[in-house]
Amino acid sequence: MAQPAILFDGVSKKFNRAQRFNSIRDLVPAMASGLFGRRKAEDELHGKEFWALHDVSFEVRPGEALGIIGPNGAGKSTALKILTRILRPDQGVAAVHGRVGALVEIAAGFHPDLTGRENVFMQGAIMGMKRAEILTKFDAIVDFAGVGEFIDTPVKRFSSGMNARLGFAVAAHLDPEVLLIDEVLSVGDLSFQEKCYERMQAFVRSGIAVAFVSHNLSAISSLCSRVLVLRRGRVEILAPTHEAITAYARLAQEGRVAELGGHEVTLVATDSIGAVVTEIDAGSAVTVRITAHPPAAEFYQAELNVRHLESGALIYRGQSGPAGAAPLALHGSRGLEIDWSFKANFGRGHYGVSCAILDERQRWVAVSAPILLTVNERQSEQALVFLQGTCEMRPLQTPSHASA
Amino acid sequence: MATIGRDMREMLSEQWEYRELLYQMTLRDLLVRYKQSVMGFGWAIFMPLVNTVVFSVIFTQVATLDELGIPYVVYAYTGLLFWNFFASSLRFAVNSLSSNAVLVTKVYFPREIFPFSAILVCLVDMFVGASILVGLMIYYRIPVGLPLLFVPVLLIVQVVFTAGIALIVAMANLFLRDVKYIFEMVLTVWMFATSVVYPVDRIAGALGKLLRLNPMSPIIDGYRAVILRGEMPALGPLALAAGLALVTLVVGWVVFHRAEYQFAENA
Repeated sequence: MAQPAILFDGVSKKFNRAQRFNSIRDLVPAMASGLFGRRKAEDELHGKEFWALHDVSFEVRPGEALGIIGPNGAGKSTALKILTRILRPDQGVAAVHGRVGALVEIAAGFHPDLTGRENVFMQGAIMGMKRAEILTKFDAIVDFAGVGEFIDTPVKRFSSGMNARLGFAVAAHLDPEVLLIDEVLSVGDLSFQEKCYERMQAFVRSGIAVAFVSHNLSAISSLCSRVLVLRRGRVEILAPTHEAITAYARLAQEGRVAELGGHEVTLVATDSIGAVVTEIDAGSAVTVRITAHPPAAEFYQAELNVRHLESGALIYRGQSGPAGAAPLALHGSRGLEIDWSFKANFGRGHYGVSCAILDERQRWVAVSAPILLTVNERQSEQALVFLQGTCEMRPLQTPSHASA
Repeated sequence: MATIGRDMREMLSEQWEYRELLYQMTLRDLLVRYKQSVMGFGWAIFMPLVNTVVFSVIFTQVATLDELGIPYVVYAYTGLLFWNFFASSLRFAVNSLSSNAVLVTKVYFPREIFPFSAILVCLVDMFVGASILVGLMIYYRIPVGLPLLFVPVLLIVQVVFTAGIALIVAMANLFLRDVKYIFEMVLTVWMFATSVVYPVDRIAGALGKLLRLNPMSPIIDGYRAVILRGEMPALGPLALAAGLALVTLVVGWVVFHRAEYQFAENA
């Protein structure tokens, strides 16, 4: 087994909600103890401190890409900052072996008054490239960024997209052994994002170790073989990508339940023979049974939403009514039961299925927490939507043949 | 003590590794200044020149200084040129970490680069301003001699001392933003406690003794001795200043290095 290129062993980091030094009175003893005293490695919290990371361990070997995901404030960026040596852990060991390239704030060194050319050299130097190295790669960088004739224009006249593209282009020409990436795919237009993404895949394939922080689950699942899920500074799960994303999706759903204030509406998915399922094959029949106890109203309508969790895209929204069940009047009944059947013509992935109950004025009166539905794909069709169309193939008659 | 030695090796090897960044950062600041202001490097000449005129009026028209041995204008300009290198380096350095907060919190490299590049930028300014000194010396027909070779030694002592102070004030200002206001006041007082526009050694008594501890006086007096008078600098006070400068740099740098990991949390 190869030596791990990135090692995180029992790392903890605490932050203080309050200002660290408010007066010179605090600063002087702190500086004195920093100089002469031993560094404090306390494992307790004081005052307004909290753990940004607590006892986090993982390792990444060369040729492996680890995804780091989690809700906001989970400690993802803190972990990356510890790896880039910007922050120092309070406990544990964080080590990176080899030349580090960090795709974090890729245009941080840009000065608005300097030209693109001058900023390429500046940013390159910040990322640890030598001047000679930048010189040889300069044309490739400009070409990759696609800023062409604007390279001698001050970057303050650049669009924000051009700025980000130039920044990424510099970073893309690093020659790292360990690559740390923090959510940089969200820059530039669609075609540039694809280019960035391809470059990152090339980095992974070239056998370097990659740690990739992102909210983009589809990017994570195609780049990374393992995923670390963080929540409130702790490791929730560290597992192969599919398993970890499933756990993360469940985590996100639980968060939504709390947000919406409980289970006013419950959902259960069943397959064609009525068995409760959380995982189904693509294209198979599903029935979602909705049980609700909404407050009194003239009549009710149900709304079903299906969200693709990897991309966050809402792929289906339908209301009962003309297309489905008719609005139902509920006179004195205890509740409401709805069976919503459909064919899961979705691609492989994780889906959040949720339901809302609307009253006669189209207001939401009850909302369910989403349930997780994992779709397994065992067909020739791929990607997000199953057309279930037919395909016929025949040789084309050549015109010369027809005229003869 | 052993850990300080290890820290210093680490500090120096890091500086060497990132030497190109120091160069780029200095180049960036010079380019920006040149592009942003109409006068560009003209400011490097303008500042000591205006001060020279002001103090020339005071010390030749109002309260006359005698027995200087050299025309007051050249005396004052020389003092102001090198003092300005010291003071503007520090004015620039005190803000250097806090004004680059994005880089400090997001990207890793040795943070010493910021105050160090501030000094290098002002060193370039100082060389630009020196052209006026050459002009003045030609105008007043001041001969130069072999002691001129001592200038690099004085410059090194000054840069070492400046770097030590720069690291301390840049770091302090990151933790406490009012440091730059306090420090501005300190610089004003410090200038009059140094032989910049008048010979400070004419102050007698307890205050005079206290002022002997100021390492900037033997440095500035040293420049005048070797450039204007063709004499060797007063070696005793200069050696003391050099020792103090070195201690300042080592202490400042080690403290800076050890506090460095807290910068991102406080920027």
